[in-house]
Amino acid sequence: MKQLALLLALVFLIIAVLYWTGHFYPAGIHAKHGIVSVILALLCLVWYRFQSATPAR
Amino acid sequence: MRPYFTHASAFRASGKASPACEPSRVVTFLQAMLLAVLQGVSELFPVSSLGHTVLLPALLRWGIDEGSDSFLAFVVVLHLGTALALIVFYRDDWVAIVRAFVATIVRGRIGDDPNERTAWLLVAGTVPVGVLGVLLESSVKKLFASPIPVSLFLFANGFIMLLGEWLRRRQHPSTTLRQAQGDTVAYRQLPELKGTDGVMVGFAQSLALLPGISRSGSAIVAGLLRDLRHEDAARYSFLLATPVILAASVLEFPKLFVPDAHGVLAQAVVGGVLAGLTAYASVAFLTRYFRHSDLSPFAWYCLAAGAVSFVLFATKVIA
Repeated sequence: MKQLALLLALVFLIIAVLYWTGHFYPAGIHAKHGIVSVILALLCLVWYRFQSATPAR
Repeated sequence: MRPYFTHASAFRASGKASPACEPSRVVTFLQAMLLAVLQGVSELFPVSSLGHTVLLPALLRWGIDEGSDSFLAFVVVLHLGTALALIVFYRDDWVAIVRAFVATIVRGRIGDDPNERTAWLLVAGTVPVGVLGVLLESSVKKLFASPIPVSLFLFANGFIMLLGEWLRRRQHPSTTLRQAQGDTVAYRQLPELKGTDGVMVGFAQSLALLPGISRSGSAIVAGLLRDLRHEDAARYSFLLATPVILAASVLEFPKLFVPDAHGVLAQAVVGGVLAGLTAYASVAFLTRYFRHSDLSPFAWYCLAAGAVSFVLFATKVIA
């Protein structure tokens, strides 16, 4: 699951860049779509953090 | 009434102006004040702010050009006022929730602290509406942001709330509402919800992409169906509203700096303050109201307003 979280974070970051550079469907620059993709990437990183943390005793 | 939930962008996208007459470019002070009060009240009451801001100008034949840059700038300020009112009203909650949110990330797990669970329930409820809102809002508005569909959705909004109340009573058949308020076994507290419950509430409030469906109404109904009391479901709905409205306002903030917006800034400031004050009064009223009462009055209002509006627009009494 840790690897999946990191992979998804990377995918969302790439999607954000594609949105901001106008290379993602539908064509054109979509700033809001990019921002949402970054937020999803950050949430995936938090998920990774939760998976990595030492379990509570 | 969120900027990306408003009819304004839809009218722009579809190339339609307000249907009554030749659109005027700028809202007057009187219109600004009325729209601000409407926004402050209907954003939090479960009666669809977007539906009302489509229907009211059409019913009153104001002829505002709702796709103009100046009107969009005006709407952004109304939302900022509403979001600030919610933040001020729940300021203690938000401080505790943000602290708890950061603590969970630093610690790497969600503990038993109710604020930590509430923080992540807010995340779970916000992600669906954020993603669906950004992906679907313009196409949904192109299809439905005109008075007749809005009237039908407003009617449907009333039906959804009545259905939600009926299903809640079926889930708790042995209790009347008043008895149920004191029934701590049958009902859950907000922090006791699971993440999947939060996601479900998030998807439910995404229904508000349809103009005429109330965000707070659908979120409260979803909360009731997850065994929350009216009071807790309403609090969850209002807490969920804050990041949604605030984020949408911030995303639309650049519209305040377009040249056409300069002529409406005074109206926008007055409207923003008025919307904030009205929203504060609304949330204060509703948090008390839902301690002892249910959604039925709002449901019957939406059924009646939707039906009357539909008849007026469909029969072209109001063109």
